[in-house]
Amino acid sequence: MRTSILGIIAGKEFRDHIRSRRVHIILAIFLIIAVVGLIDGAVNYQEQIDHYNENLAQTDDEMMHAIFWWKPSILSAFNRMSDLIATVGIVLGCAMGFDLISREKESKSLKMLLSHPVYRDEVINGKALGGTAAIAAAMGIVLVVSFAILLIFGVVPNFDESVRILIFGVISFLLIFSYFAIALFMSTVAESSSNALIYTLIIFIVLSTLIPAVATNQTVQKVVIGEAPEPPDPPETVGGPTGSFNVMVKPMPIEISGEVEEAWREYEEESRAYWEKRRAFIDTVNLLSPSKNYQEMTMAVTEPGYAASMLSDDPYSFDRPKDLPQSGLEILAAIIGELAHYIIALIVMPAVFFGLAWVKFAREDIR
Amino acid sequence: MIRCEHLCKVYHGVPAVDDLCLEVPEGEVFGLLGPNGAGKSTTILMLTGLIEPTSGACYIDDLEVATHPIEVKKKIGYMPEDVGFYPTLTAEENLEYSAKLYGMGKERKERIKELLALVGLEGVTKEVGGFSKGMRQRLGIAKALINHPKAIILDEPTANLDPQGVADYRRIIRHVADQGTTVLVSSHILSEVSKVCTSAGILAHGKLVAHGTWDELARIGGDEKVVIHIETRTPMPDLQSPALVAAEFAENRHRARIVATVDIRDELADTLAEAGVAIRSLEAEHPDIEDVFLSYYHTTEEAA
Repeated sequence: MRTSILGIIAGKEFRDHIRSRRVHIILAIFLIIAVVGLIDGAVNYQEQIDHYNENLAQTDDEMMHAIFWWKPSILSAFNRMSDLIATVGIVLGCAMGFDLISREKESKSLKMLLSHPVYRDEVINGKALGGTAAIAAAMGIVLVVSFAILLIFGVVPNFDESVRILIFGVISFLLIFSYFAIALFMSTVAESSSNALIYTLIIFIVLSTLIPAVATNQTVQKVVIGEAPEPPDPPETVGGPTGSFNVMVKPMPIEISGEVEEAWREYEEESRAYWEKRRAFIDTVNLLSPSKNYQEMTMAVTEPGYAASMLSDDPYSFDRPKDLPQSGLEILAAIIGELAHYIIALIVMPAVFFGLAWVKFAREDIR
Repeated sequence: MIRCEHLCKVYHGVPAVDDLCLEVPEGEVFGLLGPNGAGKSTTILMLTGLIEPTSGACYIDDLEVATHPIEVKKKIGYMPEDVGFYPTLTAEENLEYSAKLYGMGKERKERIKELLALVGLEGVTKEVGGFSKGMRQRLGIAKALINHPKAIILDEPTANLDPQGVADYRRIIRHVADQGTTVLVSSHILSEVSKVCTSAGILAHGKLVAHGTWDELARIGGDEKVVIHIETRTPMPDLQSPALVAAEFAENRHRARIVATVDIRDELADTLAEAGVAIRSLEAEHPDIEDVFLSYYHTTEEAA
């Protein structure tokens, strides 16, 4: 593969994307919703920080640590924006990729292009590179506008927050790129752009809705990991809640006999094992969903305190794990380390689809 | 310059090109003729490196296409039948992109200007999406010439051209041929090929059924029979000649259609003069070239 040819093809593709009316419209919608969301987030942040400061003035340090151990952050506005990116951003990725090859087949320019002294891998790599650069440019514009909105509202992100905003941008880029790669693959498989778009939408629905639904479906869970353990018969004096909520509610510290205590201890252990298995199952299945991986990662980046509590092994506890660092970028790095499999999945997914597109395109008979 | 050796391409068990052996010398304008589905476009796709042969090989300037596709593509210019360009770019921008892919430097600006003038598209600034089919075809010819190719391969080049476009196309081909460029033109329109090509090959069912100069093709395909039409003022007697194959009379023997193995007009004139028959007209009809080529196709169909 020659970099000069790759550069020429990528440059042409990049220009096509940034001149595309379709991309302009989606990006404009993207920006408008992002701006509105950020303005809303900035106003909300001001309210939260005022509330936090009031609470800080009224409580001592120990109580503060126990209850308000994460400070409101402007990043929560970006967390809201992640919902937008998980929809409009994905549409942008699909729109940029679904007709990259099929449009050339339809306009007969593919045969013309391949009659030049170019290798097929240069063509598809150039197209992917041009699209990637265009997505990066779109994300760059969104981030710059976001920073500008924050500054206009007098919110100056500190170093920690700026780094997290940038990481948020990178993760968002990976999500959009995932769907771009899926759309590119569909574009090589389908004979027409309309079919490519339909196939891409089907995959989008499967990955963003069907897979998370399957992962959390109780029937599927029963089949794969078995039934949740039943709690022992409660002592008559306790009269605790029954049903599936039992496992979420920490038992009341009451006077109970040794036998009952033993039964409850066993139940707790079985319950813990069940919940670990259940979480492992959901996490594993959700790895196939770029949207779900993205949500987990954006939560970790924009709300690291909340994400830390979710990492807790104790299903009854909402406390932050003691082995995680307490503040700043350290906690972010620790959480990203804990959730690295989501990032890997966000990289592997587009790599797989791009690889499939590459193989299909390289072997295709051009007639 | 262009050579095919036992070239075969099979799609789903059906041979599209079957054991094709062909040679086009340097500087020749060669026509590849055949009805739709004869294998012309498939042959061209293999020659341009867009598809690989199932077996056999093809060469451009002694380079095997399948093993040296990039080097071969640098030496040829190609215009497909369904010529396609980027609709959101202008003609100049499309050619600019093409020239860059050929690795051309700053000289490309001058070349693009020259070619746009040659094909009559200079000063056209609208996007190619708004071009007529004929304009795209003209642009396709310009694209095929952008890299100063040693050989150009044109698939159905006049399919969408208006009479002026066809005339321009012929002028361009002659201009290119005068510069020593080898030209291979594929078409099913015989009259078009016969006007620009010096020799031709006839493909039918993926096989090369005949090739040579026009005279050679006509002589072999025409089966060397001559049809003579006679019109007289008085009725004709029976006509005798060793070369005579058949004689049909009409209008009370005032008209006759004679089929002979050679031109026997002089002999017939003498016979009629001796019989005292005044001749009104005596004409020999050589077989129409289209009939000759149809006979090639039909012969192959019957054999198939």
